[in-house]
Amino acid sequence: MTEFNWTPDELQKIVEENSIVLFMKGTPDAPQCGFSNRAASVVSQLGVPFASVNVLSDPRARNALRDWSGFPTMPQLFIGGKLIGGSDIALELFQNGELQTLAANASGND
Amino acid sequence: MIHFIDRLQICWPIITAMAGADWVGSEIKKLVPGATVEVSDLHGTGDHFHVRVISDSFDGMLPLERQRPILDFFMPHIKSGVVHALDLKCMTEEQARVAGNTVFDPHGEGEKQFMGIHIRRPKEK
Repeated sequence: MTEFNWTPDELQKIVEENSIVLFMKGTPDAPQCGFSNRAASVVSQLGVPFASVNVLSDPRARNALRDWSGFPTMPQLFIGGKLIGGSDIALELFQNGELQTLAANASGND
Repeated sequence: MIHFIDRLQICWPIITAMAGADWVGSEIKKLVPGATVEVSDLHGTGDHFHVRVISDSFDGMLPLERQRPILDFFMPHIKSGVVHALDLKCMTEEQARVAGNTVFDPHGEGEKQFMGIHIRRPKEK
């Protein structure tokens, strides 16, 4: 396993190589925060594969991530390489159907 | 245990910096002039907030664009631990009318349903 240092280049690579990426506290199966749980539940309901990154796996992760993305809180959802937002935005866009459209467009470009 | 240590770190600056729902609300009103701002202090600890920001100036903006000035302002305060959670709902007047209650408490008791989303929570040991 190669070393991962949470550099902007490394983070950028993750969101470019995976059409849907959820940076969260814990994992979708064992979320460690209610907001991360909410986001993971929403993204799971899209019914398409997604990558999740556990920011509790490394103490450097959270600061590196927010400096890179400009988004201060966890979780952070990326679709098609673009920051969508946190769990409140994920849920809002899921409820009005826009998240499904974004996901479908992003996976179509893989 | 990790959670307990985390709490100690975030509670201390609250006392010194005097953060709280009133401060969060007044800062957001400066960032979104004319908005109706409703702040819920989720745990009464002055660091977990659900905030409804209602303004027709949001019309036509994407959700992240609506939050951007608020996120930028609170970034250093979240980094320092003064604010631990900031759950934002930026809505137009019409959206607020149909949305009803939007408060979401991630640390509420037990398992629950929230707007169709099943909240799983590991049992406390």
